[in-house]
Amino acid sequence: MSDLAVSDGAPDAPLLEVKDLKVHLRVADRLVRAVDGVDFKVDTAECVGVVGESGSGKSTLIRAISRLMPNLQVDELSGELRFEGRDILRMADRELRTLRRSRGFAMIFQDPLGYLNPTQRVGRQIAEALSPDGRGRSEHRRVLDLLDEVGFADPGAIARRYPHELSGGMRQRVMIAIALASDPKLLFADEPTTALDATVQLQVLETLYRLHKERNMAVAIITHDLGVVAELCDRVYVMQAGKFVENATAVDLFERPQHPYSARLVELSAHRLDFRGMQQ
Amino acid sequence: MSRPVLSLQGVSQIYSSRNASGWGWTTVRAVDDVDLDVHEGETLAVVGESGSGKSTLAKLLLMLNLPTEGTVAYRGVALKELDGAQRSEFRRQVQAVFQDPSSSLNPRMTVEQTLGYVIRRHSLATSAEQRAFILKQLGSVGLDPPEQYLGRYPHQLSGGQQQRIAIARAMMLEPKIIIADEPLSSLDVSIQAQVLQLMQDLRVRTNVGFVVISHDLGAMQSIADRTAVMYRGRIVEIGADIYDKPAHPYTRLLLDARLLPDPRRGRIRSMAAAASPPRSTALEGGCRFRDRCPHAIQICAETEPKLRPVGIGATKAACHRAEELTGATTTEKQAHAALGEK
Ligand SMILES: Nc1ncnc2c1ncn2[C@@H]1O[C@H](COP(=O)(O)OP(=O)(O)OP(=O)(O)O)[C@@H](O)[C@H]1O
Ligand SMILES: Nc1ncnc2c1ncn2[C@@H]1O[C@H](COP(=O)(O)OP(=O)(O)OP(=O)(O)O)[C@@H](O)[C@H]1O
Ligand code: SF4
Ligand SMILES: [Mg+2]
Ligand SMILES: [Mg+2]
Repeated sequence: MSDLAVSDGAPDAPLLEVKDLKVHLRVADRLVRAVDGVDFKVDTAECVGVVGESGSGKSTLIRAISRLMPNLQVDELSGELRFEGRDILRMADRELRTLRRSRGFAMIFQDPLGYLNPTQRVGRQIAEALSPDGRGRSEHRRVLDLLDEVGFADPGAIARRYPHELSGGMRQRVMIAIALASDPKLLFADEPTTALDATVQLQVLETLYRLHKERNMAVAIITHDLGVVAELCDRVYVMQAGKFVENATAVDLFERPQHPYSARLVELSAHRLDFRGMQQ
Repeated sequence: MSRPVLSLQGVSQIYSSRNASGWGWTTVRAVDDVDLDVHEGETLAVVGESGSGKSTLAKLLLMLNLPTEGTVAYRGVALKELDGAQRSEFRRQVQAVFQDPSSSLNPRMTVEQTLGYVIRRHSLATSAEQRAFILKQLGSVGLDPPEQYLGRYPHQLSGGQQQRIAIARAMMLEPKIIIADEPLSSLDVSIQAQVLQLMQDLRVRTNVGFVVISHDLGAMQSIADRTAVMYRGRIVEIGADIYDKPAHPYTRLLLDARLLPDPRRGRIRSMAAAASPPRSTALEGGCRFRDRCPHAIQICAETEPKLRPVGIGATKAACHRAEELTGATTTEKQAHAALGEK
């Protein structure tokens, strides 16, 4: 029997399905249509990319999907959000937490410092993501393995550090380790590798790709780096001003971009401008 | 070249931190014996390993950290000997853009208040002109229409919008040096191009010098006059042409690991299974890259290579074999082995 049939949602529903999602925010007297009617879906074991303009609503999308919208003045939040067919927009908080924990979906947010606990060692924070009390020997082993998988040469030493004792890229990797700890079916990551050097980035992407292959982990990745999209993604959404302007396979996006903004992205990432020597 | 605005001589920064057992302390040499000059009108890129000390180097240059060893000097005067007037000149002439913009913007101040504060403090505009001045700055970093952003608090901005506010704040002072830590990381390529152009314009107009820390080798190649490559607390290579003629094996490894924006040539997807890369631990003596270096020989384990001129150009590298390896390409097999691929 397949894994899918076990879930209580519709058997052939996509893993994550978003329909006509709107997130309108209020700033003073102004309305910001941060996400303005998007349809989005991630199938089981699929890798999806989301690229787009800065400020186009990508982070708001992931926050709405995770229902983490602290101190936001929401003017309108509507549409459908389904994970394995279950309505997560209207689900009780407790149910949502359970769903997340038991092989549900894990999120990596854009600003790691905002989501790490400054007073707790990072090893402990990863252990807590493994199991609620997270104190056993096997948990400790697993913490070290996870740190190893995100490219730390000395997991033991890193586990004992506090977030402020880590560099920007190290914190980003700790966030990835925390997300992977729950062995998710879907990993939704907002700019997870921006602070990583090329070799560590490659290693982290390899880890994600391996988990994607071995455990059928679906990945949705928000990124400004078309190289990441080219490496990892089957399908790509291009976002501009709260809407998706293109949804294409990765190959089509690079070879036959339909929307002018997509075309510009592809063009710019292929040919870097040269500013050197302009001064003389 | 002109006298450097900022210079580091033999600078080290040592942090102490709990060791793995939790009982003792270990020290981390985040920056280890670094010499570096920063000039007006020059764009210096700093690239390298995550955790290699780049942000620490930025904090040292900004006088936010005091070095454990060595001296940091502003226009030839050691920072600790600067008098009050020199210190405030330093604060004005050396500006920063931090790696984590959300923590460098005051969460209780709107965009207008944040920029207005700097404008009043440094008398950049009269109070009648202040708003127009701010709108112009916002427009220049691609925040369009700028009026929208005046009343926003940092949490009401996207990651890239916060980053651009921080850039605008540093640039509007027209300082002599701007030290920017990952200023482009949350910007899409089209805004990136706009910000790079803006930096270039400011440089032509005011002869500002930049120290830009970035993982984006492509962007750095397009703007940098010189690039320093850091690995485990040290500058292992510095020069104008490290992208086309890397002299240090680590530089080459970094360049080889760049992702290509081409879905048909992805290296990850084509791999059957990813092997984990070689594990490295603290190495005593010798070259600190030797556990990952495909070219290591006997001497590499015995003597730590010093940063020294290589060839006839101005490139310096810390590698015993730099001369024979410069420009030579690593074979595909060696690159894969070093990157931990099968
Ligand atoms: N709390 C908020 N209140 C009001 N507007 C907000 C809030 N948070 C974000 N916005 C606005 O909503 C829009 C979408 O922001 P979002 O953070 O989703 O963009 P993004 O696509 O993630 O951009 P980036 O690539 O720069 O991170 C932006 O114009 C932003 O200014
Ligand atoms: N306050 C601190 N206490 C202890 N160790 C620290 C502290 N700050 C930084 N470190 C350590 O110093 C080293 C250098 O950190 P730094 O932030 O300078 O790296 P970086 O090159 O900027 O890395 P990244 O590219 O990931 O931002 C790292 O090993 C980090 O863990
Ligand atoms: S000194 Fe030796 S080990 Fe170090 S980078 Fe050069 S060849 Fe490699
Ligand atoms: Mg964002
Ligand atoms: Mg840093």
